[in-house]
Amino acid sequence: MIVLDRVSKAYRATGGRRIILDNASATFEAGHNYGILGGNGAGKSTLIRLLAGSELPDRGTIRRRGRVSFPLGFGGTFHGALSGRENAAFLARIYGAPVRATLDFVADFAELGDYFTMPVNTYSAGMRARLAFAACLAIEFDIYLIDEVTEVGDQHFRRKCAAAFRARMATADIILASHNPQTLRQYCDRAALLAGGALSLYDDVSAALGRHHRMLQEAG
Amino acid sequence: MRLPGDQEQRERRSDPGRPASGSGAAGAPVASEPSNTADRDNAAERAAAAADFCRRAEALYYDGEPAAAVGLAQRAFELAPESAATVDFCAWLFSNSGCHGAAAAAYEKLLYLKPGWAAGHRHASGAYALVGDLDRAIHHALRASELEPHSLEFALHAGSLHIEAGRFHGALGCFARAVAIAPDDPAVLRPLSTAALGAGDHERAVETALRALRLAPEHAVNAHHATEVLLRCGRFDSAAELIAAALARNGADPIGFRLLSAAHMQAGRPEAALAAIDRAVALAPANAEYHQHRGNLLYRLAQFDEAAAAFAQAAQLEPDNPAPKRSQLTVLFDSGRFREALAVGGDLIRTAPDNEEYAQAVMTVLSRRFETLEGDYLVLGEKCAAPVRATPCPRLSAAATTQCRVILALIIRETRTRFGDSILGYGWALLEPIMHILMLSLVFAVLMHGRPPIGNQFFIFYYTGIIPYHIFVHTSSSMTYAVSANTALLQLPLVSTFDVIIARGLLELVTDIVVAAILLAGFTAAGLGGCPRDFAGVAAAVVAVWLFACGCGFVNAVVNAFAKSWDKIWAQLTRILYFCSGIFYVPAMMPDWIRNRLAWNPVLQAVDWFRASFFADYAPPWLDRVYLVGVAGLVLVVGLTLERGLRRCLFEPA
Repeated sequence: MIVLDRVSKAYRATGGRRIILDNASATFEAGHNYGILGGNGAGKSTLIRLLAGSELPDRGTIRRRGRVSFPLGFGGTFHGALSGRENAAFLARIYGAPVRATLDFVADFAELGDYFTMPVNTYSAGMRARLAFAACLAIEFDIYLIDEVTEVGDQHFRRKCAAAFRARMATADIILASHNPQTLRQYCDRAALLAGGALSLYDDVSAALGRHHRMLQEAG
Repeated sequence: MRLPGDQEQRERRSDPGRPASGSGAAGAPVASEPSNTADRDNAAERAAAAADFCRRAEALYYDGEPAAAVGLAQRAFELAPESAATVDFCAWLFSNSGCHGAAAAAYEKLLYLKPGWAAGHRHASGAYALVGDLDRAIHHALRASELEPHSLEFALHAGSLHIEAGRFHGALGCFARAVAIAPDDPAVLRPLSTAALGAGDHERAVETALRALRLAPEHAVNAHHATEVLLRCGRFDSAAELIAAALARNGADPIGFRLLSAAHMQAGRPEAALAAIDRAVALAPANAEYHQHRGNLLYRLAQFDEAAAAFAQAAQLEPDNPAPKRSQLTVLFDSGRFREALAVGGDLIRTAPDNEEYAQAVMTVLSRRFETLEGDYLVLGEKCAAPVRATPCPRLSAAATTQCRVILALIIRETRTRFGDSILGYGWALLEPIMHILMLSLVFAVLMHGRPPIGNQFFIFYYTGIIPYHIFVHTSSSMTYAVSANTALLQLPLVSTFDVIIARGLLELVTDIVVAAILLAGFTAAGLGGCPRDFAGVAAAVVAVWLFACGCGFVNAVVNAFAKSWDKIWAQLTRILYFCSGIFYVPAMMPDWIRNRLAWNPVLQAVDWFRASFFADYAPPWLDRVYLVGVAGLVLVVGLTLERGLRRCLFEPA
């Protein structure tokens, strides 16, 4: 469960402040998968980072219950001088996951071979992404945050990801930001609509998609 | 027989001014005489034959063989184009058999034979209108109306032809004439209002339409017409009121509800429009256009599923009309039902294979579908209903455990990253200060002959000064960069700025203690003596100076986030401290006034605390342990408060 309590967030942008959230309160309940809808530049990615805690709100509090993942596939925390193994071990320690088991899973899942013990600096972008996915899936989060489902690796790896992810979804919730209605319908049973600093929750994905569509029409 | 005569005629026509009695051409008229006679005989014969054809054609027509009848009539028309009776019959048969072009030609011929025949002009106009020659149709219609100015039908006909041709001003004239004939006939007023609307005279159009409605309010068509005129004039609310009133009189009027829906929609009330079209659909469920309109409204109201169903209904009622399928495609696409959208797209292309826009739309669906996960994430296709789990509220102890875990993980990571590139790794962190202390104490031992101010060995004396100083400098400096060096890590929600700062401080403390222990062990092993007198006191001094360093470190970390060159200034300050902290001397060697000022230096206090606990015979009177602890506590409170208060501004997320 993630609770936003009177959260405000804005950015300084060219031509004034860009308001992402304005005194917004909302509760993402446990046991539901939420899709986050919003026009381009409404701040979907920022909201995901706020939920993840990667960014702090300007005002208000965000309370998380249960282990909330970093955005899926996010490899920004990797230290280039450390090996994939050390980076994964660090994440396991941070989240209190059993280090040995996590490392075994990541080594098996990311299919990095000998590179697993080499510095991440030597990795290709694809290898980094595989490591990030594997680390995120290795740790048993209660809520997975996904900012635009990213395509990683080849067909084989994607299938493996999907299978592992489905297994996780049996015990974990997801919060997914996407502008693809198909994806949202597929993964989510509830939705949140982010527009003009307001965050409104919908119990029904169709209703949210409809509202979003109308707003796009009115804007366009 | 005919050829010479024709030649003769052509010749005559070629020079009409030539006198007939001219001597040079005397033979010609003579030669023409028998020919003319023959023509006259033939004409009679032909007329008889034509009449015969006509009779047979009539019989065939009534026998239900109009094609054969037309063939015969055409032969009759060719045989006797001068016979009014034959041509009249042909015109009648042609127009009744759908050969309007031939009929028009026949009426032209008849009008040539009978000029001023108003009904003939009317017939010709009708025939021309049916073959699409509006110019000639209008010409004849006007002629008919001029010849019989009191005929209402002729005036109406001329007017509607003008409207058809888009000549609204001409139409206005015709209908004005019609209205003059029948001033109170709604059937005349309605087209007049249409013409006025077309001519841009909205006032007149509305006025006339309302007059027609007032004259016969019981006829729904008048209300429909008035509503349409109001809608076209942009008076949506008046239109809605008017048609609603008409519907109140007669509720079983689907067209009325359709118009009401249009009025509401134009006026920006899609919900009301939807209610109206629902009524219309209930009254006339087989009208595809109503379903299409209803689908559009639902789409505007973003009720995608219902809109898709409405379009599907329209498509089912009119399988050959691509428009509902095109709309259905958009709705399905917008609501993310790509699979169904593709199916409809296939149907659409089958219905209208040559429409480029439709093909483009289907291509968009196709490419979008490939963009989606579906292909590769098929396994996720069925919705996973996650069981509702109760996540217990974390206890304070659990939060503390988590924080300890994070700090520990950060310390481990720090040991790996500090010297990540070298083979020795963290060993450098130990070796470097050991070398530094050994080198400097060697220099001092060589330069300053004799006894150190305290104890027997320069090594030990310098050691007792440099260790507290190092703890202070290493800790406070290392914490300065903690935030900027770990921006990426701070994106993990569990890692706070406090964690990364304190982790560095703890690592420095541990490192320096290990260094101190190794050196001390080394000195003892080398026989330089020097076990501390009071371990607890030494430890207390270390902790006190470390806490002071931590306070400074937190302040540094915060200040450095706002003033990027603060670390340079801090480095200079620590260099000055090296000389002000009694590391290679004791304050007792200083003049009183200098010592009194130096005693305010917390690092000097720390060094002397360390030495007082280390050496048995050293008890400086200026040493004030409470002062050091107090200052450390104060700076620590300030540093932690700053960190906590400005946590949100310390770093810009990557």
